[in-house]
Amino acid sequence: MTAMSSSAAERRGIVRGLGSATYLAISGLIAIAFVLPLVWTAVSSVAVGPGEGAPGITLEHYQRLMSFGAGLPTYLANTLVVVAVTVLSSVVVSVLGGYAFSRFKFPGKQVLFAATLAILMVPHATILIPLYVLLGAVKLTNSLVGLGLVMVMFQLPFSIFMMRNSFDAVPRQLEEAALVDGCTSFGALTRVLLPAVMPGIVTVVLFAFLTGWNEFISALILLNDGANYTLPVALVSLVQGDWGQVDFGALQAGVVVSAVPCLLLFFVLQRAYMSGFTTGAIKG
Amino acid sequence: MGSSLGASRRLGAGLAAVALVMAACSGGAATAQPATAAPTIAPAATSAASTAAPSANLGVDDGTTVTMWTRSVTAVQTQALVDAYNASHKNKVQLTVVPFADYLQKVGAAAGGNQLPDLLGGNVIDAPNYASRGLWQDLTSRIASLPFAASLAPSHIQAATYNGKVYAVPHVMDVSALYYNTVLFQKAGLDPANPPKTLADLKAAADKIKALGADYGGMYFPGNCAGCMVFTVFPSVWGAGGKVLNTDGTVSTSDSTESVTVLDFYNKLFTSGSMMASSKNENGTTQNNAFATGKVGFALLGSKALGTIKETADLKMGVAPIPSSNGGVSTFVGGDVMGVSSSSTHADAAWNFLAWSMTDQVQLDIFAKALFIPVRTDLAENQYAKNDARLVTFNKLVAQGQTPYSKNFFQCFNDANGPYLSMMRAAFFGTDAAAAVQTGNPKITTCLAGS
Amino acid sequence: MTLSDLPSSTGRPARRWRDRPGIIGWLYAAPTAAVVVLLFVLPVALAVWMSLNKWPLIGGPHTLNFPDNYAHIPSDELFLQGIGFTVTYTVLIVFLLVIVAMVLALIVEQPRRGVGILRTAYFVPAVVGLTSSALLFYGLYSASIGPINPLLQALGIIKEPVDWLGTPTNALISTLILMTWRFAGFYMLILLTGLQAIPRDIYEAARIDGGGPFQIFRYVTLPLLRPSLALCFVMIVTGGLLAFEQFYVLTSGGPDNSTVTMVMAMFRQAFSLFDLGRASAIAVVMLIALVAVNALQLSVLRRQDP
Repeated sequence: MTAMSSSAAERRGIVRGLGSATYLAISGLIAIAFVLPLVWTAVSSVAVGPGEGAPGITLEHYQRLMSFGAGLPTYLANTLVVVAVTVLSSVVVSVLGGYAFSRFKFPGKQVLFAATLAILMVPHATILIPLYVLLGAVKLTNSLVGLGLVMVMFQLPFSIFMMRNSFDAVPRQLEEAALVDGCTSFGALTRVLLPAVMPGIVTVVLFAFLTGWNEFISALILLNDGANYTLPVALVSLVQGDWGQVDFGALQAGVVVSAVPCLLLFFVLQRAYMSGFTTGAIKG
Repeated sequence: MGSSLGASRRLGAGLAAVALVMAACSGGAATAQPATAAPTIAPAATSAASTAAPSANLGVDDGTTVTMWTRSVTAVQTQALVDAYNASHKNKVQLTVVPFADYLQKVGAAAGGNQLPDLLGGNVIDAPNYASRGLWQDLTSRIASLPFAASLAPSHIQAATYNGKVYAVPHVMDVSALYYNTVLFQKAGLDPANPPKTLADLKAAADKIKALGADYGGMYFPGNCAGCMVFTVFPSVWGAGGKVLNTDGTVSTSDSTESVTVLDFYNKLFTSGSMMASSKNENGTTQNNAFATGKVGFALLGSKALGTIKETADLKMGVAPIPSSNGGVSTFVGGDVMGVSSSSTHADAAWNFLAWSMTDQVQLDIFAKALFIPVRTDLAENQYAKNDARLVTFNKLVAQGQTPYSKNFFQCFNDANGPYLSMMRAAFFGTDAAAAVQTGNPKITTCLAGS
Repeated sequence: MTLSDLPSSTGRPARRWRDRPGIIGWLYAAPTAAVVVLLFVLPVALAVWMSLNKWPLIGGPHTLNFPDNYAHIPSDELFLQGIGFTVTYTVLIVFLLVIVAMVLALIVEQPRRGVGILRTAYFVPAVVGLTSSALLFYGLYSASIGPINPLLQALGIIKEPVDWLGTPTNALISTLILMTWRFAGFYMLILLTGLQAIPRDIYEAARIDGGGPFQIFRYVTLPLLRPSLALCFVMIVTGGLLAFEQFYVLTSGGPDNSTVTMVMAMFRQAFSLFDLGRASAIAVVMLIALVAVNALQLSVLRRQDP
């Protein structure tokens, strides 16, 4: 009996017993439940709010968002700067670092790895004030670049872990062959290994983007100047601006504007990212 | 590397620390001023009267760029001031509006890093806190040199006073009042020109409006918002001559007879259903909405709400002082003050803005004309206000109200996780207001005594 | 650089590669070390230092007051309350997330048609930031614009509108729903890769031996999934114990301080009471506790690793 002749139903025990219809119904309902809140937000963002007039389509929420404060384009640009710094730096640091952890022995290796992972165990709120004090000493507060570097730090555990595992999954023969041929370790890295760990890099890019794009409290604390605000801070200012009313329409529009780039990036990178997860995450 | 499991790990992406504060109600909570409701002359300590002051100290206008932070709830007024100032001066003010709910975090971090902006605004109830921690420079003599020093909103000046020195000036005023829907008044057979003056009258009127139908509510109250509560409940206590704090703000006197009377009143209002049941969980962020629908008779709101809530066929707003048990009048003089931060190196330029902002021309043509409340009591009955009796009411209340004074006011009263909210909710929505106060009041005092 | 252990051309199995020793490894690790030391270790060290001092907000002398900041913790009612709630929440979210993620992973593991769409749909919420998600759900649960109550009422499931955030139980459940929605897809992926790594022959063998579906799941699948499950556990537990933003946004710790977490109590010390010394002390205690909890988890989970 060939492994593939039995239908998919026989491959997994519990779910196998489900007929097509049941499977579709259950999985479909769950899928709808997951997607529905986002759909609702998107629809509400172009709908006239309750008590604001006749029901219908309107762009006024987006208009309010556009013209708020220094203007949405400014906030988007600021956020992009932060994201660029975060993504580029994360990739560079984690590729080099992952390579080091995977292939080399050096004093303090275990300590450094443990310290990197320890970043996960400290809530952002804890180190923000000491960070602010330290960054102030080197004049990096109120700087989008400074904020980006802080994001790199928060993302570091995931980035390093992902890249180390990606490197681990590449057989050593590959680069040993290159080294025998006369490449330096750096040459081996760039010519042979990088292509092999590309899915892992894509994963790092995606999550570094998400962090840089969505981070609120670090941006709030570290940016003094309103003109430097990133999107999350501007959004909160708008939504909560005046006491006694929450601008729900602007809230919906803001959530959409925040989420759309992330979704787009996800769809674009999906293929690479999914396989990155396969090679970079836990192997059984 | 062998095992794929190292130390603990957690995905950082989604859990980026997003501290969105919905809690801290800073809707113009007032700081209890020691004792008297009678406004004293502005700069509390100095008697350097500016009778024939040779020249008012107006700072320096030399093209400096001055940074300013203000809370988002004063964005409109502040922006108006900044725009006008920048258009007419060589100095330029760079304004940053900070979400009010996160204002303290930002100020705390900046203070810790010694990077406060030149002009630092703040909730008036935080003024004693900022002043006592040295966040602001001493402005006493500068203020004293102004010709109108004596008419600056007295409770704000007192709130910004510490150890006899004044550290900030009034920036934006927000007083609390009783809002009522005149349309519903007429429907219920009440006289819109005669709003309730005592608590008993208030209950009677609310009952009548509630009786109009199942859709209607007597009063909507933000029962889960500490800052809103201090803003609107304290005046009833003060109006009856009661106190909520001792002189230096270290002991809570919410267990005074007057205070318990007021809390008991609200408790009965809730149990009888005249206070809408949904009030219990209103945390203040949507408190205007219910009243704005036109189905609610009363709401206790700030003066800013007049400009924010739109009048419709169902809602025409009347405004009256908040009732007290015996008809005495008071209000919570809230809003923001602004000072020059201690880390600023542009004090003279910064003061130029502050001094300018309080002059006649600015207060009348920018504030009063836009229907904001002037920060000076001598401008209460200006020509713009006279068009709208409600504005005159507000303006007059400034001189009749108080701002409570305590270094730890925010953390003990306004904070959503603080002891005041717990006590008030137990008093309002429990079975025995007096008992709730007995249990809860000492906790407030403990909090006030904190560092 | 000399190498050892090159594969022999006779086809003998390659020996275990040794990591290359030397300074070159340090060079590659240097950027990582720089970030970790400058942007993490230093601030944490400063935070520890702050916890040993009386730390006025601006200027002022910092005077050593150990162990006052730590001694204060047992009397911080809000923090103590937060411990209980945080632990409860963590236990619940672990169960919820692991079970839901497991179900989702089983669903999309099937090579049926359309499974890619399902996988995307389940994962999409993970791409939205946590703030945005919390704000989104704040709107969903709100009395003014929330669609859930009108929908349920129209369907006849409920009569009165439910106050989603108004009682301690409701607030907890509503937040659990938010977090499950937001993170199930991510943990589904982790479990999915673990599932896909299990060789098919093992299932064949088990079936031939007469195992039923539930037995196979319990005795074959789960043990082989242990590493993935362990990873999930560690991440979810850490995230649960450090929970903050979701409650900050949705409930502000209410109603009546019933949803205050440990980090929220610490936050109040730092940013409301402006007592950086005490806040840092709480942070240090929590860090030590977390390291201990995770070390314990890992030793338990690893010991049974096949």
